Amino acid sequence: MPEIAFSQTARVVVPAGSFHSVLPEVEGEPVAVDSFYMDETAVTNEEYLEFLKDNPEWKRSKIPPVFTNNGYLREWKSDLDPGYENVGVNRPLTRVSWYAANAYCAAQGGRLPTLNEWEYSAQLMEFDSDAEMNTFSSGLINWYSGIDVKNLAEVGSTGIENTEGIKDQFGLVMEWVEDFKPIIADELSLDCGTVGRMNTLGSVYSYAASIRYITRMSFNPKITTGMVGFRCAYDVPAPSSQNNINGETL
Amino acid sequence: MKRAISKITLLVGMIFFGMSSMLSAQTEEYKLDGMTFGMPEAEVYTEDYNGPPVVGEYITQLPNLAPLDYEGNKHHEVRIDIMVQEIEVAEGVRYQAWTFGGTVPGPVLHVREGDRITFVMKNRSDEEVTITEPAKGGSPFMNQVANNPYQKNSSAIMPMPHSMDFHAGTVAKDDKWRTIGPGETIKFDWIANYAGTYIYHCGTPSVLMHTAMGQHGVVVVSPKEGYPTDYEVDREYVIVQSEYYLTKGSGDLYTYDFEAASNNNPSHVVFNGHQTILHDQPLKANAGERVRFHVSNNGPSGTSSFHVIGGIFDRVWLEGHPFNEMRGMQTVLLGASGSATIDMIVPEEGKYILIDHEFVDAEKGATGTLKAGPRKN
Repeated sequence: MPEIAFSQTARVVVPAGSFHSVLPEVEGEPVAVDSFYMDETAVTNEEYLEFLKDNPEWKRSKIPPVFTNNGYLREWKSDLDPGYENVGVNRPLTRVSWYAANAYCAAQGGRLPTLNEWEYSAQLMEFDSDAEMNTFSSGLINWYSGIDVKNLAEVGSTGIENTEGIKDQFGLVMEWVEDFKPIIADELSLDCGTVGRMNTLGSVYSYAASIRYITRMSFNPKITTGMVGFRCAYDVPAPSSQNNINGETL
Repeated sequence: MKRAISKITLLVGMIFFGMSSMLSAQTEEYKLDGMTFGMPEAEVYTEDYNGPPVVGEYITQLPNLAPLDYEGNKHHEVRIDIMVQEIEVAEGVRYQAWTFGGTVPGPVLHVREGDRITFVMKNRSDEEVTITEPAKGGSPFMNQVANNPYQKNSSAIMPMPHSMDFHAGTVAKDDKWRTIGPGETIKFDWIANYAGTYIYHCGTPSVLMHTAMGQHGVVVVSPKEGYPTDYEVDREYVIVQSEYYLTKGSGDLYTYDFEAASNNNPSHVVFNGHQTILHDQPLKANAGERVRFHVSNNGPSGTSSFHVIGGIFDRVWLEGHPFNEMRGMQTVLLGASGSATIDMIVPEEGKYILIDHEFVDAEKGATGTLKAGPRKN
């Protein structure tokens, strides 16, 4: 068994701004988002293992059933052994419930990003042309139809990052957010027309976004699946002890 | 740093639970025009189930239809789980399909008008389920697939939320057709109030993606009083037309092609889920026999102009309802999710080609063979 070095994920500052959500919004008023910090990459198995050592009540054998369905950390060899020969090194953690994700982020002094924070960050991408954006978005839709959970890539390896340097919000796993099932989810009723009604920007980009929103809204907080991981958000920069180039104060 | 489960986590969790249990449905059963409406509220739960994914006596693999060997009405207990399977849809073309019951299209359920169905479905998209081995307690479908796995199924994982929309059911979709996440199970009742052949499909958006990925099948509801020619029918087959929108992926597998799907440009249009299955395994009949086809066009987006080369349809019941009778039709136009019950007299020994007379579809695969032997007296 190789020795796995535990490294704190870099926190990246996401400056305040606004974006168009595919959820209904006041016409002409994009959703404003305050600045916040977010993990550069998704939480890995190694990082979660460290959390479990400090918080044994979240171990697979200890977690209360109100906080998870069966299948929590299903692929792990044992309570404190991810079994890197199976799950790989530096791969995103999956098969954790929303509750567990919350607890992890709280233990890091953070929280899950809100839906709007996550989406705003994810959509901070620059494309040279509409054609390029459409190609990217079509690829994204195809990816949503075929996430290969048995062969997840390493975090930071997708080559997809936003303008601030936050990596893999697309192309690796889907991610928990704090309010993944906003109240509006019931109103939208998630029927066949939902994709069309959400296609507010009239582009392939918003089509891809609507699939992401709908899929996420269809979960309940106890679900653990091989395609859902998470990263944390913070209201403050990383502690100064952490050597982090992006951790400047706002 | 050691922390107990935070109070906030708990609180927010309780709010979520509260929200999800606020849904309620009509539970008062009532009769109208001889039909039954008002089904109890659907249940969503988790279960430790790893048994056969398709359970029920009257469930078969295409093109077979289980005979209804009971009189009057029956209460069916049916399970059709959701699974991901890598399947072959044409020579050399494999993809990871989202399926009901493990095949595309899913299993054929046969019931009689007025039957009640208690339906259970587990979303097993996050576990590997083998469907090519006979399963104890499974439906005839399971054995038929084990004996004839023509899509060369192998298990795969692709966790997604899914749902079930039976067109044969008359219920509130926000209750019964609810989306369930990986690992969850839904259970609900419905009554087959109308005779006919009805598609079922996943109704979780994007419906285009979910249906094109393989989540559809049919229920055949035989009329209470039958069709007028029932006593003359020698053979029955179920034919489902559908489209695939696939493109070569980075490895050996094909993947969903969003562009093609949004442009109505299928890579394959097929009968019974495989481009050549009805040629590799032709339907059989003899000259002079009356063959009945239950034909459904499951789309998701195309139409079918169903025709049999060399035959004329003696009777056609549009949507399979015995009142919608037509005679002497050469071609039946089926919209997306449309169906017909068709009788054809097989004229003489030889080959007859089932075809979507929209030739662009035929050339993408929507053809099949009916092989007729000599007349038997």
